[in-house]
Amino acid sequence: MLESIVSYGLAVGAVYALIGITYNVMFSASRAFSFTAGMLGMLGGVLGALFIDRLELPVILGLLLVLASGAVLGIVTEFVAVRPVLKSIEQHLYVLSTLAFSLLFAQFTAIEWGTDAAPFPRLIPIGEGIFDQKFWLPMLACAVTVIGLELLYRRTLIGRAFLAIAEDSYAARALGLPEQRLRIASFAIAGMIGALAGFSGGEMLLAYFGNQAILNFYGFVPVALGGMGNNRGALVGGLLLGLFQQAANFLVGGIFASVAVFTVFIIVLLLRPEGFAGASGARRV
Amino acid sequence: MSIKRRSVLKGSAAGAVALAGGGLAAPAIAANEPLRIGFLPALTGPSSSTGIGINRGTELAVKEINDAGGISGRKIEMVVRDTQSDATKAVNAIAELTNRQKVAMIWGPLNSGETLAATPLCARANIPMIHPCWVDTLIDVKKYPMSFRSAPTNEQIGEAANHYVMDVLKAKKVAVIGDNAGYATATVAAYVPLLKKKGANVVYEGNVDAANPDLKPELLRMRDGGAEAIMPWSVNAGFLARILNTRAAMGWDVPVVGQTTLGSGQTKALLDKPENWAKVYSNNFKNCCYGSDGKLPAIDAEFRGRIAKANIDMGDTLLWWIACGYDAPRLIAETVKAAGDSPKDIVAYLNKLANWKGVNATLSFTPQQHNGVPDAEVVMCQANSLKDGAFNIAPGYGA
Amino acid sequence: MEAAAPSITAKPARSGLMKHLEGRITFLLLAIAGICLPLFDDSYAGVIATRACIYWILIAGLNLVVGYAGQIAIGWVSLLTLGAYTTAVLTAGTVVPAWSPYIALAISGLVGAVFGVIIGLPALRLRTFYFAMTTLGFATIVTQIALAWRTVTGGGIGIAGPVFDWPFDPGWGFYYFCFILAALCTWMTANIAASRFGRALVAIRDAEVAAEASGVAKPRLLMTIFVFSGAVAGVSGGLFASLQSYITPDAFTFDLSVLFFIAILIGGRGSILGPLLGTIILTVLPEIAAPLVAWSTFLYAALLLLIVLLIPGGIADLLDYRNRRPLEQHREIATRPDLLPRLLERAKTADILALKGIELSFGGVRAIAGLDLEIRPGEVHGLIGPNGSGKTTTLNVISGYYAPQAGTVQLGSAQLPPSVPHARAAHRIARTFQTPRLIGGASVIENVMIGGTIDGACTFGESLITLPRHRRDEKHLREAALLALQTVGLETLAAVRADRLQHSELRFVEIARALMLRPACLLLDEPAAGLSAEEIRRLGALIKAISRAGTAVLLVEHHADLIFDICDRVTVLNLGKVLAAGTPEEIRSHREVVSAYLGA
Repeated sequence: MLESIVSYGLAVGAVYALIGITYNVMFSASRAFSFTAGMLGMLGGVLGALFIDRLELPVILGLLLVLASGAVLGIVTEFVAVRPVLKSIEQHLYVLSTLAFSLLFAQFTAIEWGTDAAPFPRLIPIGEGIFDQKFWLPMLACAVTVIGLELLYRRTLIGRAFLAIAEDSYAARALGLPEQRLRIASFAIAGMIGALAGFSGGEMLLAYFGNQAILNFYGFVPVALGGMGNNRGALVGGLLLGLFQQAANFLVGGIFASVAVFTVFIIVLLLRPEGFAGASGARRV
Repeated sequence: MSIKRRSVLKGSAAGAVALAGGGLAAPAIAANEPLRIGFLPALTGPSSSTGIGINRGTELAVKEINDAGGISGRKIEMVVRDTQSDATKAVNAIAELTNRQKVAMIWGPLNSGETLAATPLCARANIPMIHPCWVDTLIDVKKYPMSFRSAPTNEQIGEAANHYVMDVLKAKKVAVIGDNAGYATATVAAYVPLLKKKGANVVYEGNVDAANPDLKPELLRMRDGGAEAIMPWSVNAGFLARILNTRAAMGWDVPVVGQTTLGSGQTKALLDKPENWAKVYSNNFKNCCYGSDGKLPAIDAEFRGRIAKANIDMGDTLLWWIACGYDAPRLIAETVKAAGDSPKDIVAYLNKLANWKGVNATLSFTPQQHNGVPDAEVVMCQANSLKDGAFNIAPGYGA
Repeated sequence: MEAAAPSITAKPARSGLMKHLEGRITFLLLAIAGICLPLFDDSYAGVIATRACIYWILIAGLNLVVGYAGQIAIGWVSLLTLGAYTTAVLTAGTVVPAWSPYIALAISGLVGAVFGVIIGLPALRLRTFYFAMTTLGFATIVTQIALAWRTVTGGGIGIAGPVFDWPFDPGWGFYYFCFILAALCTWMTANIAASRFGRALVAIRDAEVAAEASGVAKPRLLMTIFVFSGAVAGVSGGLFASLQSYITPDAFTFDLSVLFFIAILIGGRGSILGPLLGTIILTVLPEIAAPLVAWSTFLYAALLLLIVLLIPGGIADLLDYRNRRPLEQHREIATRPDLLPRLLERAKTADILALKGIELSFGGVRAIAGLDLEIRPGEVHGLIGPNGSGKTTTLNVISGYYAPQAGTVQLGSAQLPPSVPHARAAHRIARTFQTPRLIGGASVIENVMIGGTIDGACTFGESLITLPRHRRDEKHLREAALLALQTVGLETLAAVRADRLQHSELRFVEIARALMLRPACLLLDEPAAGLSAEEIRRLGALIKAISRAGTAVLLVEHHADLIFDICDRVTVLNLGKVLAAGTPEEIRSHREVVSAYLGA
């Protein structure tokens, strides 16, 4: 029982954490949250199943294609749904444009791919029981992503440019940083992270269009808990959420588990709107 | 925020006309007009796999009848409205079919949730309806005297499965599990008391989120409780497959007896290994199963030949769905041929129907009983014997 | 010179909504079409029309939340679910003895009101996106509970909906019932839209800081709206259950939430007619285009995306011909300081505004390091200094946006509490902002009327059904706003959308709005920025006249000429401290001021 909760909880928690990081990367680049994080996760699973199962491509090629698709989707998102509404950011139109954009893909997938959850191929035939690769693949993907982002932000020049844009985009532009190109690059990276989340979690979540709504919500909880733009917070928040959710599933059963998760989410948010590790809102006058 | 007067006048007038457009005086149905039957399948949306299968049977039946000259020279016209597995669309469609399209009878909807909403509206429109949904409360001869059911009731399905588990497999400790969709929650709640009445010891009863990827805790609880059979009630292939996969991963050899979808191609596609389909038994109909001699009953063997001739794809659907879809138009056609197309006559004829030989089931109705399928025809079949859309009848049935 | 009747705005009834003659025509036509529908004897059209009415009842309420208040409440289907189940359970007789469906409907309205508040509460604390997420979460939770609570709701099997008896029995009777309720909701929401509550909602949406400065208390107003919206959504749910005859949890899909939301956005925010047309279109469209049915949500999403990107104003914007008429090119701002005594007639005398020992730091940055300031009625007090010296920060402390770590702000003998900016208006402290904060989508006069929000005496309920006190309020408010506009010389632009005005005109509109408070103390934040020389001259004359009428004026400015022209006293700030204070002549020649700021 306990091993099930831990292995399952950490694995699905890693997927949630990755989606949370996807939200964060998009937020850092544009100060806007995007509903497309869940969409990227969903498509990571669906496209993975499409490439590897239906088209019978080798796993590595399938992974690369999925990552590439994620990057492309991220760039298209930035171009279509984020950039046009950035100038009127106080109107919060980005909520609507990214919602609409993500709904387009969800519906299209539902109609073309089908509304039932299709199986996701077994990626690496190793591991038994709780050490099955379907559990540690998401955790591996999460670790790689977090470490990769840390190295990028702290050690490379372009990473520091990303941080500068996130901190203060006006100042960064004044310093000559190409804000637009950096933002596009950020969204591409976010797209890859989201697609990776869905791909690595595919064996657990299956290739299912309904994952979009699930990941949108459960992937946002780590962001709410950890603070906007805070990737370490998202990581911790995601893993905790995964464990909590599995424990609740086991103790009280499916329906009440989601009620429990949501109640905790609301209470935490109302008590600390900026999350446990987040900073308070900025000057608005 | 203001509107220019002229454009408003034009726009509103156009709108009013469009809305009312088709409703002006409907012509009387002449003798050689096609017989219009409304059909409400769910061809898209979450609960659509049944609908797609049934639709194929219905289309085949209509084609055959029309090719043979129709009903006394009148062709059948199936007016199809995809309900998208959505009750609101079902209600809209019933209103359209009964009022605008002036259908003589309604076949469907095919999902219980939609039929629950559609039945009162159809009754108010005074149009007879026949549907293959299982929820017990759908049929009420007093409230809805024009509504008939060409499928078993939930209770019949449950009793058939319970009978198999307790009387054939001789299992006393049973685990009952469903997902949390409408059908499953109601079904689990209804069947557990039936089991207990037969003297079973229900060691596990639960509804789990269909999207929950890990069912191991649930199955562990079942095993710890000493379950000798698992009875899953859900139409979600992913959920059912996960139960079977988890059972195999645990190395547990318990029989799984439950919902028809256990034997569907979709469930099969989601299994980790084909061996996971062993010792799985699902609901089916006697006519649609291979007997102990490995052959279908004559009526369905012949039907299967016709399906093959019509090039209907059986790979991703079940024989009994196609059969169910095939029977309804045929029954409607015969009824109208014998009794005419007025609602009163149709209902009177159906109320006297005795042992009508359908390919899916033998149907009988009386004024007090509008559930048409006899208990004996609801049987369990062996899921992993799926061959061309039909199964072997489960081992252990006496006759 | 007596005020001549202004040209474009001869009709006082220019509000863009119910009162406007042109908008009224459409409502009238829809009403007639609705009443005459049964004559066509097409029950199919009847079902569709009933459905449109039921959806509109919910959407009309949601429109105030989303379209007017700008709160992105996506998961509103949760209230439909609650209303539907409440009515169904109460009339079913399984849990409690069967109630009359009308009473059950009323109770689901109450339940909706309560849950409207619960669902809306996070909007006060959370950022936009977070709030949107919580509403989605609520929608899921409500459906899950409906599924799980089998003993009451029937669980997955569902429960029968209520059946209303004659004269509202199923069929045309019920259609009329829904139609009457829909018409009632249209009327009520239009009334609110054309009241100070509606204007305040839009102000919260588009210019929240300015709304607070005008005295709009966001929490209370939002909660009121959530109560109303929740109540009508609950009623709509009960009617929905009746139309469906039978409800199961699967009927309340996310697609419905999206539909409600999109109807409002397609129709256009800040409009009643737009979302009404949007609702009708979205209900009727899938019926007309049968092959599109499977793609309907996809098309709705595409439509939403297009609207957001291309025509954020929606249908309402497309049909807004009036605001496409070209404006006069070379407009002059002909201020009328002589109208001030009439505009500013005030009951009590103004007090001295005094700041003592204010200290304010942001993290490690000391913005204000010990500030004493006194602004006397009848005087114009200038506040100058280099950028970053703390001028705007001082204004914000007075306005209550920032709480100082030390020091007090007093008006007369009353101490002004920090961090309660919307209470300043009651003390008759008005201000303008460094960048004009106006509602672009509203007309100039509506923007100015927001300044008089706290003078309204009628309650929300009275506005809802336009009782006499509401009408009186509106009349007085409009007259006062027109007078204020005449004073600043912009009455010819009263009906024009604010975002069509030039920058300098916007500054004067802000002043007109501030004057609506008949301020005891007026804070002006760089009002001359971007004005031409002639405009600055008129501005100066206006400000001087305002102070002579008894107001204490604090003027933050960079235009040294304006300062020295009209100020009676000047304070110079540098690095958050007072560098010098005195008369303009003293300051002009003060050595340190010259070197730090003025130059030779």
